[in-house]
Amino acid sequence: MRVIRAYVRIIDAVNLRLGRVVMYGIFVMVAVLLWSSVSKTFFLPSLWTLETAQFAMVAYYMLGGPYSLQLGSNVRMDLFYHNWSDRRKAWFDAVTVLFLLFYLGVLLYGGLGSTAYSLGYWGDQPLAFFAGLATGAEEIGRVERSPTAWRPVMWPIKVVMCTGVLLMLLQALSEFFKDIARLRGVEL
Amino acid sequence: MSYEMIALFMFALMMLMLFTGQRVFAAIGGVAAVSALMLWGTGGTDIPFSAAMKLMKWYPLLTLPMFIFMGYVLSESRIADDLYRMFHVWMGPVSGGLAIGTIGLMVLISAMNGLSVAGMAIGATIALPELLRRGYDKRMVTGVIQAGSSLGILVPPSVVLVLYAMIARQPVGQLWLAGVVPGLLMAALFILYIAIRCRLNPALGPVMPRVDLAEYDRVSEHPLRLNFIVLAAVVAIPLVVWAGLLPPKSALGAALGAGALAFLLRRHPAVYKDLFLKEKHRLLFSGVLPLVIFAAMMVPFVNGWTSLVESSAIGAMTAFLAAVLKGRMNRDVFETSVRQTLAISCMFMWIILAALGFGAVFDGLGAVKAIDDLFTERLGLDPWMILILMQLSFLLMGTFLDDTAMLVIVAPLYVPLVKALGFDLIWYGVLYTITTQIAYMTPPFGYNLFLMRAMAPPDITLRDIYGSIAPFVGVMVLALALIMAFPQIALWLPETVYGK
Amino acid sequence: QDKITWRMQTYAGPALAAHVIDPAIEMFNKIAGDRMQIELFYADQLVPTGELFRAMQKGTIDAVQSDDDSMASPTEVTVFGGYFPFASRYSLDVPVLFNQYGLNAIWDEEYSKVGVKHISAGAWDPCHFATKDPINSLADLQGKRVFTFPTAGRFLSQFGVVPVTLPWEDIEVAVQTGELDGIAWSGITEDYTVGWADVTNYFLTNNISGAWAGSFFANMDRWNELPEDLQTLFRVCCDQSHYYRQWWYWGGEASLRVNGDKMQLTSIPDAEWAQVEQAATKFWDEIAAESEVKAKVVEVFKQYNADMAKAGRPYRYG
Ligand SMILES: NC(=[NH2+])NCCC[C@H](N)C(=O)O
Ligand code: NA
Ligand code: NA
Repeated sequence: MRVIRAYVRIIDAVNLRLGRVVMYGIFVMVAVLLWSSVSKTFFLPSLWTLETAQFAMVAYYMLGGPYSLQLGSNVRMDLFYHNWSDRRKAWFDAVTVLFLLFYLGVLLYGGLGSTAYSLGYWGDQPLAFFAGLATGAEEIGRVERSPTAWRPVMWPIKVVMCTGVLLMLLQALSEFFKDIARLRGVEL
Repeated sequence: MSYEMIALFMFALMMLMLFTGQRVFAAIGGVAAVSALMLWGTGGTDIPFSAAMKLMKWYPLLTLPMFIFMGYVLSESRIADDLYRMFHVWMGPVSGGLAIGTIGLMVLISAMNGLSVAGMAIGATIALPELLRRGYDKRMVTGVIQAGSSLGILVPPSVVLVLYAMIARQPVGQLWLAGVVPGLLMAALFILYIAIRCRLNPALGPVMPRVDLAEYDRVSEHPLRLNFIVLAAVVAIPLVVWAGLLPPKSALGAALGAGALAFLLRRHPAVYKDLFLKEKHRLLFSGVLPLVIFAAMMVPFVNGWTSLVESSAIGAMTAFLAAVLKGRMNRDVFETSVRQTLAISCMFMWIILAALGFGAVFDGLGAVKAIDDLFTERLGLDPWMILILMQLSFLLMGTFLDDTAMLVIVAPLYVPLVKALGFDLIWYGVLYTITTQIAYMTPPFGYNLFLMRAMAPPDITLRDIYGSIAPFVGVMVLALALIMAFPQIALWLPETVYGK
Repeated sequence: QDKITWRMQTYAGPALAAHVIDPAIEMFNKIAGDRMQIELFYADQLVPTGELFRAMQKGTIDAVQSDDDSMASPTEVTVFGGYFPFASRYSLDVPVLFNQYGLNAIWDEEYSKVGVKHISAGAWDPCHFATKDPINSLADLQGKRVFTFPTAGRFLSQFGVVPVTLPWEDIEVAVQTGELDGIAWSGITEDYTVGWADVTNYFLTNNISGAWAGSFFANMDRWNELPEDLQTLFRVCCDQSHYYRQWWYWGGEASLRVNGDKMQLTSIPDAEWAQVEQAATKFWDEIAAESEVKAKVVEVFKQYNADMAKAGRPYRYG
């Protein structure tokens, strides 16, 4: 119980802080795009602006996702749900959240595979590869670059994406615990 | 398992998740993940994530957070308050006038942001309480606000049309222009409806007593100064010419004429005072703000100086600056708009992410060909029948599905078919958007419904909210029919501007 | 015996695919009948083009039609797929390079290393600029945001071109929304076929490369599982696709220059264009210095072009 309480508190706090920082990412996107308009009108267009803005956008919604989950801003189709008692809601949520966890799990697994690929691993055991990297049994191979003229390396954004999905997963788990607690009538 | 079985299973599972209240993105994404594994085995584990890469490369999606931010800056900073009072003062003395004014307000707000959220927020917080206080019929006014704010996605800029453009591969600029006349038409129909009902039953929208407006007839504390008007003209005229709205000569002529008139008026202080110094005249100038924001964004875009996403950033920046200049951007407002922008953007993005994965699986199942066969060969229907069926299916789906999900999942099936049938895809985008507007309001799932439920005062019951939308949905279906029957309503403007 | 089903994704959108791949696949499906069917998907349909290689390696997709460059293949030969600047002049050059000058063997070896079967390379169309504003000199290239191949983009940026990479399907719209000023991705036949001629006004007759190399690939396990006769049938159908392109582009390029009314032709004078050709030789050497395999391929190009020059007319003029 204590462990779960601590888990919920920590995860919620981490995602809250992160969300409160990431939300300013909107200004990063604005700035990049404004620079893009200015440089294009007055100097030469820059190679990097569009892609940078895209990276910023991905980081924005991937890292911001857990916080939005926490805020409850993801809509539900609440034909019945709306009228249910809190207890009943918690019941159904506790079951169907497994579905969410499954989705996030597959998303994460795909993301890890793609990240491993971006570090030059071509097998289909990404987890083993990362473990190998840690122990020195595996090496970083051909580093994937975006197929554009700017050619940024791809792994950083993929790592960001995986981090976002992982945190989202942890947050979903925290929501699950909160539902269980609600069902058993305990305070977290 | 056969493909048909998988498709059926996907559908059933999604319904189950939706009806038991799981988050929409989780329902869609989860189904995508499960069925990808069923369809591809281990090769399917990549499908949900590769949707994220696809999403990243969809550059027009960058406009989404921008337009959402614009909307929140507008509603949180209340820079629209003056706008609201302008309609209030000028329309109040008419029966049903405040409701009509609210539609006008919604049109202007629609021109400054890409969703209906801002309109809803402004309508529900500023207009609604006042309308109720003035004894307007609560059923009518909740409907007015929901319907009016849905114009946000039809009047440019529009996020929904951007998404449609991405999927149908049609130029956003033309789509946006195509939304203008239908948007105004629909606003006119709403107004007509309100006017007629209030005519038949004046109790629905009581006339505002003159005494309540007296304060606006007094000389304003911050009267419009002639100097200010001159200054505004000096800035505005070159802009108008530059934007190509008027040829230089007529602009100059108009300016000289206006100047002469102003000079003459100045010599007759009584007339001058009556015409320029009153509070209600000052308010008229608040209508300039939306025009400035709209122009700052659209002029460079339509002229090809900046690209679509760059223009959306300019729009966001202009709205922000306007709030700062009007002294409305305090810490609180700032934090709330930034935070809400993140929350709503994330909501959208995660739905799109999930739906893209879902779409890939659906494609992998060959669903596109199947639907195509069904409509054209097996049922052997004629093009118009098919089109009407498609619209009906959208309306049906719109009751329980999110519009983005609807678009991402279904448009890849319908768009090629619409094209094959020989219809115009720009025009179809407008039809789709109107359907989406309806979907925003029809229970059980509708963003405007949700927002109204969350923001309405307690004496407005759920029944009121559900009941209020029926006539407006009727008006929207009428508009849909009109545009179907007369495609030129949508196509005239883009064809004129782009000179097809 | 069970019917074999393959999923194949092409780099081309539906309009282009109607010419360059649909007929070949229809033919394959008709002949293979109940034994095997290939389901064809267009650009970015199942996975984004940039992820095609990995998807094929993992078996999400069984076969792919693309050039090495666009599908971001992780091999040493990637730079040469697509339009390697000035490597070819005519569309017959490419099959000769692959079948008679040894490129097949190099490609086969490089792809085997990463678990992918390189089945067949063919010559596709030449690479020209299609732009909104006219290009009459090298200076006109300055600052133009152009959709092009990654490698071509790298090469062209020395002339002030700003290469932009977007999903293929979004190009037409991007030209209209101002994200792009033009396209350097194809010959005029494709400009008309896929609709780019409707959104651009000018066609530059100077080409960066005479024909590009594109290939058919398959997941190695899936390929090995096929009985030999189906493998052969697949190869025959690839050849059908290559052959179709030979006459479709060759005839189309000439006819549209003469009869097309949507794009105006412009040219950069030969003397000025020579700078670009010279820059290409330097570029080849830079690429060759990057690795042994690359050096080998560049060597083949040089040998081939030298032979053609010596052979004289009609192989090379001047
Ligand atoms: N995979 C690619 N992106 N290849 C580019 C091909 C360009 C060429 N003009 C063709 O379609 O035939
Ligand atoms: Na709008
Ligand atoms: Na609805």
